[in-house]
Amino acid sequence: MTEMTRRERILTASRGERADKLPFFHWWRHSQIGWAERECRNRGMGMAWARPSYTVELRDVDVVEQPVVVEGVKVLRRTYNTPMGSIYLDEKREPGTGEWHGMRSWQDVSPWQTERLIKQPEDYEVLKFIVEHTVYTADYFPIEQAKDWLGEDGCVVDIHPHSPMQMLMIDWIGSEGGRFFIHYAKYHDLVEDLYRAISKSREPMYEISARSPADVIWCGDNIDGVLVNPRLFEQYFMPEYEKMAKPIHRQGKLFASHMDGRVDVLKDLIAQTPLDIVEGLHPPPMGDLPIGEALSLWKDKVVWMGFAGSVYTLGPEATKKHTLELLREVLPGDRLTIAMSTENLVSNENLRMVTSVLENVDLPLTGEKIGVIEKSLG
Amino acid sequence: MAVEKYLSSLKEGIINLDFGTVVNAAKEAMAAGVDPNATINKGMVAGMAVVGDKFEKGEYFLSELVVAAEVMKEGVEVVKPYLKGSSTLGLGKVVMATVEGDHHDLGKNIVTSLLGVQGFQVFDLGIDVPTARIVGAVKEHQPAIVGMSALLTLTMTKMGEVIEALKSASLREKVKIIIGGTSVTTEFADRIGADHRAANALEGVKKCVEWVTSSERRQ
Ligand code: B12
Repeated sequence: MTEMTRRERILTASRGERADKLPFFHWWRHSQIGWAERECRNRGMGMAWARPSYTVELRDVDVVEQPVVVEGVKVLRRTYNTPMGSIYLDEKREPGTGEWHGMRSWQDVSPWQTERLIKQPEDYEVLKFIVEHTVYTADYFPIEQAKDWLGEDGCVVDIHPHSPMQMLMIDWIGSEGGRFFIHYAKYHDLVEDLYRAISKSREPMYEISARSPADVIWCGDNIDGVLVNPRLFEQYFMPEYEKMAKPIHRQGKLFASHMDGRVDVLKDLIAQTPLDIVEGLHPPPMGDLPIGEALSLWKDKVVWMGFAGSVYTLGPEATKKHTLELLREVLPGDRLTIAMSTENLVSNENLRMVTSVLENVDLPLTGEKIGVIEKSLG
Repeated sequence: MAVEKYLSSLKEGIINLDFGTVVNAAKEAMAAGVDPNATINKGMVAGMAVVGDKFEKGEYFLSELVVAAEVMKEGVEVVKPYLKGSSTLGLGKVVMATVEGDHHDLGKNIVTSLLGVQGFQVFDLGIDVPTARIVGAVKEHQPAIVGMSALLTLTMTKMGEVIEALKSASLREKVKIIIGGTSVTTEFADRIGADHRAANALEGVKKCVEWVTSSERRQ
């Protein structure tokens, strides 16, 4: 068999078929550009690049941004003026925001909202107006361009925002101080009404993205079972995933969702979703569901695993040990790809160490092969 | 209505996460002259204990714990004016913060409410709290315990910085330090010289209770 390209490797594994080697890759937005990254890519590391397939326009909504100081802290205030009234959010930006990948700061942190759009019950109808006046238009240029540039070096995925209830929990109501849960208990009808409006307004976007040139359509959902408990997941996330999956599968594409938190409590429900790929799964010590268990539980799914940042803090030796242990858990190594990180910056030393372990993982993987790899690393 | 009736409807109201029931029962209890301390402890705190139990057993999720704490907060607001300086908070003071650069506060908030329920007086400094502010709060409030939360590997190191700053201010020996959050390991806690790394909120709160009750016994 001729050697697969990095792109073929990722996509073959993602379709549940056996690749020649265990695919491993770095996300473009967390990737260090430089000698170590170049070296690791030359040694087999692929690249994944998330880009949108649409542009967003807010009709009859006037958006104004201005810097303000709140309790001594400089923030950027974005006000949305609509015929129903105005709402605003405040954003704290670290050095580098807007100058690096995907609005990340030099430390790889997105802007933090210190005030959310929804503060009081009256804000719901304003936000509903905005949602209902949101227009999505196909724009495949960013994906076509990335595919052209990346070629066989990796895989371009089409990125969706948080799914509707997650949008409310993480972005618009926010979970600070448990606010989402309190609103969900106190203003239940308002929350559900807005959820339905978001879900409806997203329908054209789901079609657009399913028809995009990307092979994988990825919902950046940040699922954590502590926050999105099984009741919420079943009621608001699973139906939405069904809705997203239909056009995606009709176009023969793969559907992924980012589940980077502790998902053990959701594992049986996740098994029932139409997802092809559970992306960002972090095994212990960051998460609470071991990869081996996830793979044996989700027989029709593929895991794109995220390497635990807390292991990286312990240095390259601990990283090596952890990677070898991981491999022992996933024999024969099918239905799995490993991302160097889904959130953090990775040091050159750790990047090279993971590459040293993974560059020779021929599939099917056996205990003996792992023994040989371990020995070769000294 | 008999006192018991008010207390049990407060307790049930907390367990059922029912804002209306708790606020009304608290108002009625105060109007009927029920002891405010009993209203809090035998009514609402008793309800929170059941909620905590259900959470530990996996019957209730984080959402229920958070909402129950909020229901209790609204109930306590009703009772507060009747407390007349008498305090229900007998276990001592805790200064609590999510360290600088970190905005994750759900874990910290759970710990804060559970500590409050146990009878600690908690000074919650919030999120993204600079080291100097934590040290300042320790100077000002003289707590028995400092609790810190960090979820990012990037911000974990700030906990070590706080401990060093407490040492420089000759305050380290006066407090127990407990830390928690996803990325924090026992090994890390040892490395930075914290007294304990909590695996979860309930275990952490138990540790705090153990510290203050065993030091009380020693005195
Ligand atoms: C929810 C969440 C968010 C929310 C936070 C909302 C909020 N109000 O807190 C939002 C969306 C804002 C967010 C933002 C970011 N996040 Co975040 N987030 C999470 C997530 C999914 C869950 C965390 C959570 O709240 N869990 C529920 C609570 C109850 O659990 P807990 O905090 O662990 O607390 C429990 C115990 O640890 C303990 N405890 C905690 N603290 C303390 C303290 C004491 C004293 C005691 C006794 C006990 C204790 O008690 C609690 C109850 O048992 C985690 C995933 C994960 N595996 O943890 C990622 C995670 C923590 N986030 C991560 C990242 C990278 C980020 C961002 C940098 C991403 C970005 N794009 O910029 C930003 C950072 C913003 C900032 N500056 O802080 C990474 C961190 C990786 C790393 N190695 O550092 C994680 C691990 C995701 C991942 N797998 O990569 N995040």
